[in-house]
Order: sequence, then C-alpha cells, then structure tokens
Amino acid sequence: MKIWVDPRKCEGHNRCVARAPDVFRIDEEGYSSAPEGHLSPESEEDARQAIRECPERAISIIAR
Amino acid sequence: MAEGDHHSIEDLAANFDHHDEGLDNIFSTYSELRGKCPVGRGHKYGGFWFVTKYEDIYRIEHDSETFKVAPTMIVPPMGNKRPMIPIDLDRPDNLKFRRILLRDFAPQKIDAIGPAVRSVARQLLSNVPDSNEIDASAVLAKPLPTIVFSRMMGLPEEDLPLFHDWVDRIVYVRTHDPEVSRRTVDELYEYFSKLRSRRLTQGSRDDLIGHLLQGEIDGRPLTEDEFSDYCLLLFIAGLETTAWTIRSSLWYLAQHEEDLGRLASDFSLIPTAVEEFIRCFTPSQGMGRTVTQDVEIRGKHVSKGDRLLLLFGSANRDEDEFPDAEEVVIDRRPNRHMSFGLGIHRCLGANLARREIRVALEEFLSIFREFRLVDEDSPWHGIGPLRLRVAPATGENK
Repeated sequence: MKIWVDPRKCEGHNRCVARAPDVFRIDEEGYSSAPEGHLSPESEEDARQAIRECPERAISIIAR
Repeated sequence: MAEGDHHSIEDLAANFDHHDEGLDNIFSTYSELRGKCPVGRGHKYGGFWFVTKYEDIYRIEHDSETFKVAPTMIVPPMGNKRPMIPIDLDRPDNLKFRRILLRDFAPQKIDAIGPAVRSVARQLLSNVPDSNEIDASAVLAKPLPTIVFSRMMGLPEEDLPLFHDWVDRIVYVRTHDPEVSRRTVDELYEYFSKLRSRRLTQGSRDDLIGHLLQGEIDGRPLTEDEFSDYCLLLFIAGLETTAWTIRSSLWYLAQHEEDLGRLASDFSLIPTAVEEFIRCFTPSQGMGRTVTQDVEIRGKHVSKGDRLLLLFGSANRDEDEFPDAEEVVIDRRPNRHMSFGLGIHRCLGANLARREIRVALEEFLSIFREFRLVDEDSPWHGIGPLRLRVAPATGENK
C-alpha cells in the first residue's frame, strides 16, 4: 500500500502523526508527508486510521 | 432558552446567541436547528447567517475566496480597530504572517517545551492548600495557560496579574458592553507597543516576541501596529480557550466517575480523551466569515456582503459526522472535530493547547483521583470558578 499527503490540503493539524508516528514525517513548520515507497504491512492499519483522522481529508491511498 | 419553553423554530433561529446565557442549553438548540433550520438568520451582533452542519462548514472553510474573514473572524468583534494578525487576514497575507511563528508551534517544538509545561502544572498544584474543597479554575485551569503563554512569549512575569482581568474585559464583557472591551484592547495595544520599544533596545531573545521582532513580511520587518496586532491575537487565543477546555474537562469528569476512574488509572487514555473534550466542549463555538458573492447554502440565498457564523460547536455534534454525537466517548476514534477550525485559518496554537490540556489532566488526576462538583448547577462553559469536593490529596507530588 502506498499513501500520499496532498501538500495543498495539509494544514498541519498533526493528527496523522499522533495516530501513526512511524508512518508520517512532520517538517519543521508542522506539515506532514508520507514515505514515497510501499508501507510495511504492519503499518497499513495505522495509516488507514490516520486517513480517517485527518480533518482536512488530505491523505489518500495511491496504490494497493 | 429554558427546557420546556415553547418556542417556534423561527424565534429560536432569530434569537440565536452563542455567548453568555445562550451557552447554557446550546447543545439542544443546535440539535433543533440542525434538524429544522440548519442554515438560518440570527439578528444579534449586527445580523448573521448561522451554519450548523459539519459538511457545510467543511466546504465553506475550504473556499477562502468566496468566504473571507475580513473585517474580522470574531463575532461579535473584540473592539479592535485594526485586524488581528493573522486570523483577520485573508490570503495571501494570512500565510505570510503565520509563517513567522509556524515553527514555534510545530510538534517538535511543543515536545521540547513539554517538561516545562509539566513543571508549571506541578508547581501550581503543589501550592493547593490541604482542603476538601478547591476551585480548579483558580488553582490550575486559568493560571497554567497564562504562565505557559507568558514564558513562551517572553512577557514579564510581574505582569501576570493584569492578564486575567484583560481577558475577562475583552472576551466576556464585549457581548454586553462593547465600549469596555474597546478600551481594554487600546490598553493592550499600548502595552505591546511599550514592550516592543523596550525589547528593541535589548539583545535578541529566543521567544515569540523575539521571533516577531526578527520576522519579515515581503522582506521588511513588522510595523509597530502589526507587531501589536499579532500580540493581541496570541494573547486572546492563548489564554481563555485553553483554560475553558481544562475547566470543562474537569467539570465533566467530576460528574462521570467511571470515566474519571479509567483515566486516573491509565494515563495512556488521556490524549484521545482530550480530543473528545475538545470536541464536546468547544471553547470557540463559532467563527465568522464575510460572503464575497451571492451564494446558496442549503437552499438559503446568501447575499454578497452578508456575515456568516460557522458553528463549530454544532458541527462537532452533528450525527452525520459523529456516531452518538451527543455522548462524550473518551476513546472516540476517529474524531475529526472542528474545534481548531479547518483550512488556511486552522488554529496555530492547536498543538500547544492539546499539550497543556493533557498535562493539566495528568497532573490533576495524579493528585486527585476522585472529585465531585460542589455546585451541581455550575455551568459547563466559560472560565468561572469550578468548585470541586476532593478526597484528601494523596498523590506523589504532595
């Protein structure tokens, strides 16, 4: 599974990293990004939860 | 409106008020409005359209061209003659000013000041006299955010006693005596302007005031007015809302023994519970917008120039977004509440607020594991006294 944080939508609420600290990276201004490659299978459920928590709906699954 | 009163939905809409006594039964008011009049016209504060549904507010918050914040996001205004920075600014200025302080509120920075927040909370609670009755607002909810904020800003500690009075006069008096809040804002402009002059003669310091003085907009430093307008916003946003949420969280726990027991025996549940308290007891119930072109919102024709009031407090209890929306569910997930706003005006201090509320609850519950309301009628809202009957303090900090 691959995911993507739309930088035009992320407003730095940081709910994704609160839910899935091993998946998301937060830059020094507080904006989030996801790894480019496939997630490890054990991270997938955390990532799905983070997607549901994002109040801006900025995170999407781009490959299964 | 007292329960049992007979009122028409038209009256309920026309008299809608998200402040003062309007807050007492606001959740049942919201529920009725969402069902029968999800977008409607209120006549208070110069007149506005209120918007109660989660999806509508989500869409409006993400269309910052049609829905602007100028002249101000606050309904009714605080009495400021110039826009507060950055919340009363639209694109592109809003982001230019936000960028100056974004780093100061990023999660890495909040993690770094976490221990300092905790030591302030411990210090405050260690001063609580041994008694079976305490005022949780006075001992913790109000002073914690004030002290944390003052230190982050770099404000002189001896000025602390002034701040609560200023907040009361601006935030709470404005709905019935706007002249008092206007004069108080003038006092604050003067306070920040003097502070700026003083700081400019000193060396640069690593605090918010220092960062505002070093910050640049389009390659130039902030003017004296811009500096004061930014400080005024930080002051108003940083103190009252966090105090409100700490107080209302304790107000809830004082009446829900089982939830209190769960949190007191497992602090790892607290961060998720904090999100739920922020959802249910939304300290900023609504924020304003100005419509820049004629639009339809849920079948209502809204004209260019009309003011909108986006009711986060209602969206946060919208059944279409939250199952069992009226229930406080301390392990609720997901929880996409709107208490910090969405889109380009998202609350800059959200991470700091979350941290302060979390630490306040952890430290309070580590000393007081059981407590009840002294006065069953004490309101859920505001930053007034919260008298609690507590078991004798037994925590490790005592």
